[in-house]
Amino acid sequence: MANDNLQIKKLYALSSENRKFSFSLPLKQTIRIGKRDYEVKLKADEKYGTYILWKNRKYPVEIVRSSQNKYEILFNDISYTFTVETPFSLKRMKVLSSKRGKIEREYIKAPMPGKIIDVLVREGSTVVKGEPVVILEAMKMQNELLSPVNGTVVKVTAKSNTNVMKDDLLVEIKL
Amino acid sequence: MTKIKRILIANRGEIAVRIMKTAHLMKIETVAVKTAVEPNAMYLASADVIFDNTDDISEIPVFLDIEKLIAIALKTKANAIHPGYGFLAENAYFAQKCIENKLIFIGPSPDAIYKMGNKTIARRIALAIGIPMAMGSEGNIANEEEAAVIAEKIGYPVIIKAASGGGGRGMRIVRKADEMEKMFIIASKEAEKAFNDPSVFVEKYIENPKHIEFQILGDTKGNVIHLGERECSIQRKHQKLLEEAPSGALDDELRQKMGNMAVQIAKAVDYHSAGTVEFLLDSEKNFYFMEMNTRIQVEHPVTEIITGLDLIEQQIRIANGEELKFRQNDIKLEGWAIECRINAEDVQAGFAPDPGKIENLHMPTDSCVRVDTGVQVGSSIVANYDSMIAKLIVTGKDRKDAIKNCKMALDKVWIKGTKTTLPFFRMLVRHQKFQDGSFTTAFIEKDLERYYFNSEYEEMLAAWLATKLFIEENLNDDSINVNFEHGKEMSPWLLNKRINQF
Repeated sequence: MANDNLQIKKLYALSSENRKFSFSLPLKQTIRIGKRDYEVKLKADEKYGTYILWKNRKYPVEIVRSSQNKYEILFNDISYTFTVETPFSLKRMKVLSSKRGKIEREYIKAPMPGKIIDVLVREGSTVVKGEPVVILEAMKMQNELLSPVNGTVVKVTAKSNTNVMKDDLLVEIKL
Repeated sequence: MTKIKRILIANRGEIAVRIMKTAHLMKIETVAVKTAVEPNAMYLASADVIFDNTDDISEIPVFLDIEKLIAIALKTKANAIHPGYGFLAENAYFAQKCIENKLIFIGPSPDAIYKMGNKTIARRIALAIGIPMAMGSEGNIANEEEAAVIAEKIGYPVIIKAASGGGGRGMRIVRKADEMEKMFIIASKEAEKAFNDPSVFVEKYIENPKHIEFQILGDTKGNVIHLGERECSIQRKHQKLLEEAPSGALDDELRQKMGNMAVQIAKAVDYHSAGTVEFLLDSEKNFYFMEMNTRIQVEHPVTEIITGLDLIEQQIRIANGEELKFRQNDIKLEGWAIECRINAEDVQAGFAPDPGKIENLHMPTDSCVRVDTGVQVGSSIVANYDSMIAKLIVTGKDRKDAIKNCKMALDKVWIKGTKTTLPFFRMLVRHQKFQDGSFTTAFIEKDLERYYFNSEYEEMLAAWLATKLFIEENLNDDSINVNFEHGKEMSPWLLNKRINQF
């Protein structure tokens, strides 16, 4: 990486919905909107915790998770996931994805501890994005867990009337 | 008749805090129950007496344990019990047990709770006094064949409902004859599981209605009045998210007509205490009786704001045997109130509960805002109970003004530690259909493409933050040409070791 760093002039934050935000280095403490630069500050204090100050307004921020170049950020109560890429890694990624295709498997996990009320798919079922696959009861509510992708169910580990822990694998979908 | 001197609060969370607040104003003492699940809960701080139940290892929450609650009341010398909402609030047997033990039950009679709690009996009562209702079965239905016969008669779509039900459980909409068998079995099974009673009935399903409910108050002398309506059409799977009072869908004439019907239903069961009569209102302004809730409701504050009354105080006075100090003509509705239920839910994951510890909490302090809450910094939203964090109740001189104030207030709410329904409300107050009042109970399912709002630049700012973190973690090598003056300023997460790995 050290060699790469010398030449890095830009970084890209790619959102999970494939929007690309580019930032030139060194990273400025301002963001340009139209013809004006607005100052952006990351701050933290006892009273509010961590926040971003932008146009005289505080926005609560939290890093939910991070690993390598992937960041899940909670900004003003909404989650965003970005991968931060250098011009080189971006190019490499494009080459790889054109060769290999994108993600091949989607794993549906229990977002919270609870009880499986119903499993709505079987191995071999085709699912479309947004289709409920499992009903999980937690906190007095029945929650439909939706498929985030179009694909085919290849594995069902969820069973009706069983308790599950957070992050237990329930259904595996092949894209 | 002995007066209420000390009330056992058979509940927790914000409603326990709410009841104790009024009790203190009335110089009545309160007893709260400390549980092992929430030994540091905020409601305990408001109580005069705390009963320590933390050694109770039963799987059933104490707030559902009738014998135990009666024993606690007697032991702590309380002479009244307030059930709040949920738990045992609409359990006729609990109300009866209180009376048998010479405890004043702050709520209606066991008979009224039973009759209104059983939807089939409630339907029969409403039918007998000529309250408009969706057509349907006389009583409970034995099997899917019988349900199909009735459905053919009244026409699809129909809705199967649990006789002892509520809150959307045991409810299924049937659109075609060939779905009947499956839906009947599902509804009946769900009803048995949730309410220990598999009986169901069938009625005509009203498409895209508004949910309009009337707050009523009755005393033990036979006076019953209504306090106007609340609109609760913003709901998801029969769980209300936002309520307002009054409703933009009613004019004075319709208000009077529906209000009178609500009073009549209450009178038919000699109702005393606070109660709510729920109606569906269709697009032609026809209204249909749905059910009566025999308790104080989560959304009672919006009625308090437009009437200037304290409903908990009225419940306590009525339970004391006092006569209502006002009549229907004295009730004037003034201004507009909106309540947002700020829950620990992830709107980006289909409103899935997001339990966690509240790390930071700031609520607006403007005069047009009232906050009812049972949590504070350090409180945990636990998976054992509901996901409510706070009720944000916003007032305005009219609906437009209330929405404007609501928008302002929502931007001032600051909660860290769990995801919340705030982004949903921020979207809602900006939505055309909410603003013009044309929304129905189908709004969330049918009219929304996105469940949340973020302003144009928020995603970009989040991207900036991700990039900043990446630089701090990966490029902090002095040999490269990066300006660290700001970059080194802070990395609070690294310091706090709060970053979880994917």
